[in-house]
Amino acid sequence: MTSQTLQKVDHSALKTNQIIIISLNVLAFILNLPVLAAFVALVMGIGSALKTPGFGFVYKNILKPRGWMKPDVLDDNPEPHRFAQFLGFLFMTAGSIALFLGATILGWSLVWLVVALAALNAFGGFCVGCAVYYWLGRFNLPGFTKQPPVGTFPGMKPRVGASQ
Amino acid sequence: MNAETTSVLLRFGLAIGIIGLGAFTYWLINQRLLVRASNNVLTLFKKLPNKPVLVYFTTPDCVPCRTVQRPAIDRVSNLLGEKLQVVEIDATEHPDLAKVWGVMSVPTTFLLNERGEACYVNNGVARAEKLLEQIQTL
Repeated sequence: MTSQTLQKVDHSALKTNQIIIISLNVLAFILNLPVLAAFVALVMGIGSALKTPGFGFVYKNILKPRGWMKPDVLDDNPEPHRFAQFLGFLFMTAGSIALFLGATILGWSLVWLVVALAALNAFGGFCVGCAVYYWLGRFNLPGFTKQPPVGTFPGMKPRVGASQ
Repeated sequence: MNAETTSVLLRFGLAIGIIGLGAFTYWLINQRLLVRASNNVLTLFKKLPNKPVLVYFTTPDCVPCRTVQRPAIDRVSNLLGEKLQVVEIDATEHPDLAKVWGVMSVPTTFLLNERGEACYVNNGVARAEKLLEQIQTL
C-alpha cells in the first residue's frame, strides 16, 4: 500500500446530504413530481462540480451553527465521496430524463436506487460509490489514486484515526 | 375520493412498503450481528460475569463517541452501578475483536444478558434513555 495523506472529512455534512436526498426523492415519488427528482439531480450535479456535498449548505448554515447536528470529522479521502455523489447525480439525471420521457417504471426505479444507496450510506455507514472508486483504483485508472484508510474496508466509514 | 388523491395514497403505501422492506433487511442484518456477538462472547471473558454487560466499541478519534456516547454510558453506569458491567474496546487497538464481532463503524454498543446472549446492538450513537430501556428488558 502506497503512502497517502488523508484529509479531515466531516461525515455529518455527508449524512445531512444523504438524508435530504432520501427525503426529497421519497416525496417526489409520493407526489409524483419528476421535477423534484430533477431538482435533486441538479443540486447533486452542482455539488459534484463544486466538490462539496450538494445539500451540505443546509448542514453548514442551519444544522451545525444551531448545534442540531454535531461535526463528525474523520481522517478520510474526500475524493471517493465526491465520486459517489457524481454517480448519484448520473443515476438521478437518467431517472429524471426517463420520467420526463414517460418511462415511469425505469425512472422511479433509478430514483429508488439512489434512495437505497443513500440510506445504506447514511444509516449503515457503507458508501457503495466509494467502494466502486476504490475498486476502480485497483485497475490503476487515472484519477482513482486514493486507497482506503488503514484498517477500513473499502467503502465503509473509517473507524480508525488512520494516517498512512 | 378523486383519482389524484388515490394515486398519492397508493404511492404513499408503496413508499412505506419499500422503506419497510429496507428496514426489515436492516433488522435481519442486526439479527445476524447479534448471533455473531453471542457466539463470540468468550473472546471477551474467560468466565461470564452473570450480570448484564454493555460492550462498547470506540476509537480515540471518534468525536460522537467522546461527546455523546461516552457521557451516556457513564450516566447509565452511574445509575446501575454494580448491576451492569461495561466493557470498552478500542477498535484501533483490537481490530481483531472488531472484526470478529462484525463491527463496521463506531460507536457500536452491544447489550448482553446475564447468560451472555447478545440481545441488542446499536449501530451509531445510543442515548442513555435508550440503553436503560434496553437493559430493563434483558
